[in-house]
Amino acid sequence: MKSFLSFSLLLLATLVSAISSTGDRLLAVLDDVAEKATYSKFLGDLESRGFKITYETPKSESLSLFRLGERKYDHVIFFPTKAKGLGPNLTPNLLVQFLNQKGNILLTLSSEVPAATSLVSLLTELDITLPSDRTGLVVDHFNHDVLSAADAHDVLLLPVPRPARPDVADLFASGAPADTPIAFPRGAGVLLGAGPLLTPIVRAPATAYLYNPKEQAEVLAADELFGAGAQLALVAGMQARNSARLAVVGSAEMLSDKWFDAKVTKVGEKKEVPTYNREVAKRVAGWAFQETGVLKVNWVEHRLNEAGPGANVSNPAMYRIKNDVTYKISLSQWDWDKWTGFTVPANDDLQLEFSMLSPFHRLHLAVDAAHSSPEATAYTASFKLPDQHGIFNFKVNYKRPFLTNIEEKNTVSVRHMAHDEWPRSYVISGAWPWIAGIGATITAWLAFVAVWMFSKPADARVVLKKTQ
Amino acid sequence: MHFSKSLLSAALLLAAGVAEAASSWSFDDATVAVVSKKAGDGLKEKLNAKKPLSKPVTIGSSDTIKITLTAKDNGSGKRPHQAFVVLKDVDSGLEAPFPLTTKDTGKAVGQISQKEIPVQLLLATKPLQASIVIGSFGSAHGLNTHLFDLTVQLDPNAPAPSTEKTLRYAKQPEIHHIFKADPKNPPKIISLVFALAVVATVPALFLGWFSLGANLDHLTTALGKAPLSHTAFLGSIVAMEFVFFLYYSTWNLFQVLPVVGLVGAVTVLSGTKALGEVQARRLAGQR
Repeated sequence: MKSFLSFSLLLLATLVSAISSTGDRLLAVLDDVAEKATYSKFLGDLESRGFKITYETPKSESLSLFRLGERKYDHVIFFPTKAKGLGPNLTPNLLVQFLNQKGNILLTLSSEVPAATSLVSLLTELDITLPSDRTGLVVDHFNHDVLSAADAHDVLLLPVPRPARPDVADLFASGAPADTPIAFPRGAGVLLGAGPLLTPIVRAPATAYLYNPKEQAEVLAADELFGAGAQLALVAGMQARNSARLAVVGSAEMLSDKWFDAKVTKVGEKKEVPTYNREVAKRVAGWAFQETGVLKVNWVEHRLNEAGPGANVSNPAMYRIKNDVTYKISLSQWDWDKWTGFTVPANDDLQLEFSMLSPFHRLHLAVDAAHSSPEATAYTASFKLPDQHGIFNFKVNYKRPFLTNIEEKNTVSVRHMAHDEWPRSYVISGAWPWIAGIGATITAWLAFVAVWMFSKPADARVVLKKTQ
Repeated sequence: MHFSKSLLSAALLLAAGVAEAASSWSFDDATVAVVSKKAGDGLKEKLNAKKPLSKPVTIGSSDTIKITLTAKDNGSGKRPHQAFVVLKDVDSGLEAPFPLTTKDTGKAVGQISQKEIPVQLLLATKPLQASIVIGSFGSAHGLNTHLFDLTVQLDPNAPAPSTEKTLRYAKQPEIHHIFKADPKNPPKIISLVFALAVVATVPALFLGWFSLGANLDHLTTALGKAPLSHTAFLGSIVAMEFVFFLYYSTWNLFQVLPVVGLVGAVTVLSGTKALGEVQARRLAGQR
């Protein structure tokens, strides 16, 4: 009874908070809780999407990411804090542990406040590099806002973040007006390592560079340049192997109310245009907090694609070599507040591997409209099993930037041909002389027995010779 | 994007040239020189903001290119905050910035040796595009213009630089298993000829036997003396062959074994008597 009650409560809870696919407990870490007024629109958007936000300062003693070894929060957002460290409750070790337990982190930087050492260590652990003095200012003398930063050039105007590669899912720019800029005021940039888990979301324009406004205000020495151009990531994402996500936003000010409504003017233009910051902030936070780009596998089915006794068995444990089989997989994508069918991005491909140690087949999975619904899309491939027996896997290994990692493995045995599954010898024309040989031997043997038993001596002389 | 940017800078240059309304950055006394360790000074060319050099500059494996210029804000020498030479691979769009060392007078000097150029750019198939970016705070417009093309000449004696392809999550090439070829048969006519040749040996054997005088004349005497055992013995031998035929066509081993035992017992029991009769005939001199 009690378990039933708690189960129904759980069900109710999931129905009510159908917002993020993983949970709605959000912790916001600010220097001063009053500071949240600066970001009221951004945080209000999050709350209206169903997040329950807890505000804490790093100094707070009640602040803890875990309780009894379980996560207390599903997501954490860090706003810039003045303190050098974040105290014993937010050590890099705990933050990595938080990611390992599938918690998500949105981390904001600022050029005015150096990042906390704890966060710098966390980023270093993930191969994301900050300047050695933990901050820096990105300026661009060619792409700044003329209205607010005519002299300082530190409010960058950036195009909406299109995917860096044509086969990457367009989560941040789809549906955006063509010429709407993002304002990136007084932000820092990071350098990303070469790993596949790191993906830049917004890169700096080719002419932008990062410098330290305290030490390099007058002269930027040639050998002290931290980064310039597209190598600087202004907004970056990291998705761990367990699909926990971490997003780094170089400019916390970008999320503030001021820049959600601001009007900006590009260099060389007179037109004042509104910024796209609110939508980008929503999408970056939505990605980090598992509201977009979340995939799940609904079901997997493989079966024999031949007439015969096994044709109706779903997911059999064993096949024979050279069997024709069909594989189906159903995928859904979480789209802000509901599951929808997952459509593979253009130029990308969902692939099925049939592998024993290494893949024997790697095949395109095509949409199977007959088994799809608005909530789920089925993909299918039919193929002939290889002529090699052993333990094989049907494997869908779909790891892509910004999308939940999918690694679906179904193990089956593939046996060799049984002795009575080969063609009969009389079907094989090369065997005809041998079959005829057996027939001839049998006929001759029977005839020999008869002759040996019933033959009468032909010639009396033979008998005479014998008796002599 | 780059196109639009270069368009923009071109437009800016034009605006600066025609109207002189807004102040803008420019440069003067710009040269590019190739300094070689072995051969001393090589090529030295004057650079122009309006038009890139027509011929590409070549950098050898131990060479250094030296770029000097004087940055000017509205015609007077001044130190810009940003003075970068940017090398760009036209195909991939990869860029590498090389900051110049600037002085108060606006004089800027930079050296790029082949060692400092990233490997990805060294391996570019087309000449690298070298451009200058000059900009600073304030209202003056920055300058971003193409200066010259740079051809990289790798050391033919040293192994070519290589980069490991970084792992990126993306689709992989398809694999289709290559099946072993099915077993092949010789032409049917050959099999048929040899099968007939084998079958033909049976009548040939019979002819041979009969020519040597084989016959079945004692059949009646044998059947007369021991009718049951001879019939059963011969019948069991034929039956055994029939069981083997059934084993070949439909039966399995467990169906065959009991029947073989039964037929074998009949063969042994009837055989003792039937062969005893044959022996009696032999002792009587009738074989």
